[in-house]
Amino acid sequence: MTQDSPQGAPLLQVENLGVRFAIKRGGLFGEKRYLYAVDDVSFSLKRGETLAIVGESGSGKTTTALAIARLVDAYTGRVRVAEQDVLGIEGEDLRQIRRKVQFIFQDPYSSLNPRQRAEDIVREPLQSLTETSSEDQQKIIDRLFASVGLRPEQKRLFPHQFSGGQRQRIGIARALATQPELIICDEPVSALDVAVQAQILNLLRDLQAEFGLTYLFISHDLGVVQHMCDSIAVMYMGRVVEYTDRRSLFNDPKHPYTTALLSAVPSIDKKRRAEMKRISIHGDPPDPLAPQKGCHFANRCPMATDTCQQSQPALTDKGNGHMVACHLVT
Amino acid sequence: MSDPLLKVQNLRIELTTRDDVVPVIDDLSFELAAQESISFVGESGCGKSMTALAIMGLLPEKIGRVASGSIIFDGEDLTQASEDRLREIRGNDISMIFQEPMTSLNPVYTVGEQIAEVLRAHQGLGQQAAWTMAEELLDAVRIPNAKRRVSDYPFQMSGGQRQRVMIAMALACKPKILIADEPTTALDVTVQAQIFDLLNDLRRQTGTSIIMITHDMGAVAEMSERMIVMYAGRGAEIGGVDEIIEKPLHPYTQGLIACVPHILATVSAERERLLEVPGIVPSLREFGKDQCLFASRCPVRTDICLQKRPPIETDPSGHSVACWHGKDAS
Ligand SMILES: Nc1ncnc2c1ncn2[C@@H]1O[C@H](COP(=O)(O)OP(=O)(O)OP(=O)(O)O)[C@@H](O)[C@H]1O
Ligand SMILES: Nc1ncnc2c1ncn2[C@@H]1O[C@H](COP(=O)(O)OP(=O)(O)OP(=O)(O)O)[C@@H](O)[C@H]1O
Ligand code: SF4
Ligand SMILES: [Mg+2]
Ligand SMILES: [Mg+2]
Repeated sequence: MTQDSPQGAPLLQVENLGVRFAIKRGGLFGEKRYLYAVDDVSFSLKRGETLAIVGESGSGKTTTALAIARLVDAYTGRVRVAEQDVLGIEGEDLRQIRRKVQFIFQDPYSSLNPRQRAEDIVREPLQSLTETSSEDQQKIIDRLFASVGLRPEQKRLFPHQFSGGQRQRIGIARALATQPELIICDEPVSALDVAVQAQILNLLRDLQAEFGLTYLFISHDLGVVQHMCDSIAVMYMGRVVEYTDRRSLFNDPKHPYTTALLSAVPSIDKKRRAEMKRISIHGDPPDPLAPQKGCHFANRCPMATDTCQQSQPALTDKGNGHMVACHLVT
Repeated sequence: MSDPLLKVQNLRIELTTRDDVVPVIDDLSFELAAQESISFVGESGCGKSMTALAIMGLLPEKIGRVASGSIIFDGEDLTQASEDRLREIRGNDISMIFQEPMTSLNPVYTVGEQIAEVLRAHQGLGQQAAWTMAEELLDAVRIPNAKRRVSDYPFQMSGGQRQRVMIAMALACKPKILIADEPTTALDVTVQAQIFDLLNDLRRQTGTSIIMITHDMGAVAEMSERMIVMYAGRGAEIGGVDEIIEKPLHPYTQGLIACVPHILATVSAERERLLEVPGIVPSLREFGKDQCLFASRCPVRTDICLQKRPPIETDPSGHSVACWHGKDAS
């Protein structure tokens, strides 16, 4: 379905990405300040694999994804998809990138146009982003409906005539329509009941195996992430604090925030509950508008030292590509 | 053994919908002891919140009513109690944390005023005493800097803090039973862990019983001794949490547990495909039919399942299951 890039070159490369939002404070001459929603974020993702981004609410997961898809503007950094620069391009080049990078949104209720029939929702990106003939469009739509487990007669229905899980299937079919290189899934199952969630997660994995799809997968559910990802980036206040492969992260978490996060996940596994000592982190993250010198996590970190208050730790390789941003991890 | 604090017997709640009268709760029985925590689980629309509202005497006006059965609280049948008496009980003995914290806090009053109001109305405290107590309660639910934050408006607080304010309000009258309807949905796992710890501490310190409603089996395992699996308004399975998680007897419970990618203590390379429970919860119109309502989704269904509602069978340990094949289903 997609042509292969040269051996080893990742499909997605993000380097030192930064997104900031201008926040106006007070009256006409209020000084302009910036909220640094994404700050010096780097990672890469191989074709056919899944990279998960986790982290607390407001840590910048969605903004990172939106910047990669050119749905918000980055002010610095570099994003490459299939060896092609994404930031700074315009016109036809941008249209090509929109075809190659597709989004599956969290909310299957509000992300579909209620006045469009299911098949027209799936057709829309084909029309706006490709030159496919209407005959071929129909063939693609028919195939996609089968791939995501919807019946042919459901093509003519409107979104409100579908259940939540079925609506998410339409969203997936739409995302697949242009044969994208990269699919960004932002909380794709969190609005769904567990049984339907399992159907969608299986579907995403089946489609990945069948078409060699590459996913950037955002979820707050660490069980789901553990099941879906090949590698994982943990974000805290706009920065990546830990980034490594699936097994290293879950079996050998190194950053104090990651450790606390994993220990907070409720589990039905008695053994895990017995072994896992909950590390509680107190308070709230600091005000994202008030910049601080040191590590962003320092005010809540159970291990913080003076150094942590003073200087920001860089994301560095602590062995075998296990990247951690913490002064105390060696 | 003394009488349980709460005893619900053969409860049937009917809703009058546009075309019909349907049992949204159908022959539900369970008990809750003092200081015990019991959880309700099940997919969306199975009647979990409705059960809670029935106990609170807050069924939807005009359309909802107790058709039969009893809710005995401390020896008194709440289904027979007057509206005044129910209001008194809600203020003093049973309180509830609702599913959406933002909609249940009043945006135009400070959180301190709202807590103080509860204390004045139900504990008869004076202005000053109520305010001081409000501060203490905010401190008890671990809102940092309670003395200052007590004058905050709800919008000035994070989602987790608002939920803690809701808990503080629910605790203001030292209830014997606290009903928490999805108290942590939409919160970060680290915040969820704090709220769970808080609820568990309160239970130990004040002896409050807790009824928890949740979608998350992991949360059930961490919070409760017993659980009730609800399906389409009926109790599918009731029993000890450890026992049910280890050996669920009802096919629905088995599905609910197996379809979720639970976080594992140690991650290996292989990933099993998630078990799927096909289909969705039947619509309200189907509730009340004389058959097993799970039959259309059940992997071990036989003819009898479609012909007659399965009886509730209870073993000597109090583990009960409503399934024609609940004994051999394992
Ligand atoms: N358009 C915007 N204007 C100003 N600030 C924004 C905007 N979009 C996001 N932010 C801020 O940027 C930060 C990162 O937000 P983002 O939505 O990326 O977080 P997230 O990790 O996806 O959180 P969640 O888990 O809640 O979805 C937050 O502080 C948020 O308030
Ligand atoms: N006010 C109402 N009027 C009509 N039907 C209602 C009303 N409230 C609830 N219902 C219906 O009653 C059934 C049970 O609803 P309930 O709110 O108890 O579900 P729940 O198990 O709490 O679900 P969720 O997990 O989504 O909160 C559902 O079919 C719902 O649509
Ligand atoms: S009664 Fe029959 S259909 Fe219902 S859960 Fe049991 S086996 Fe399945
Ligand atoms: Mg987000
Ligand atoms: Mg509910």
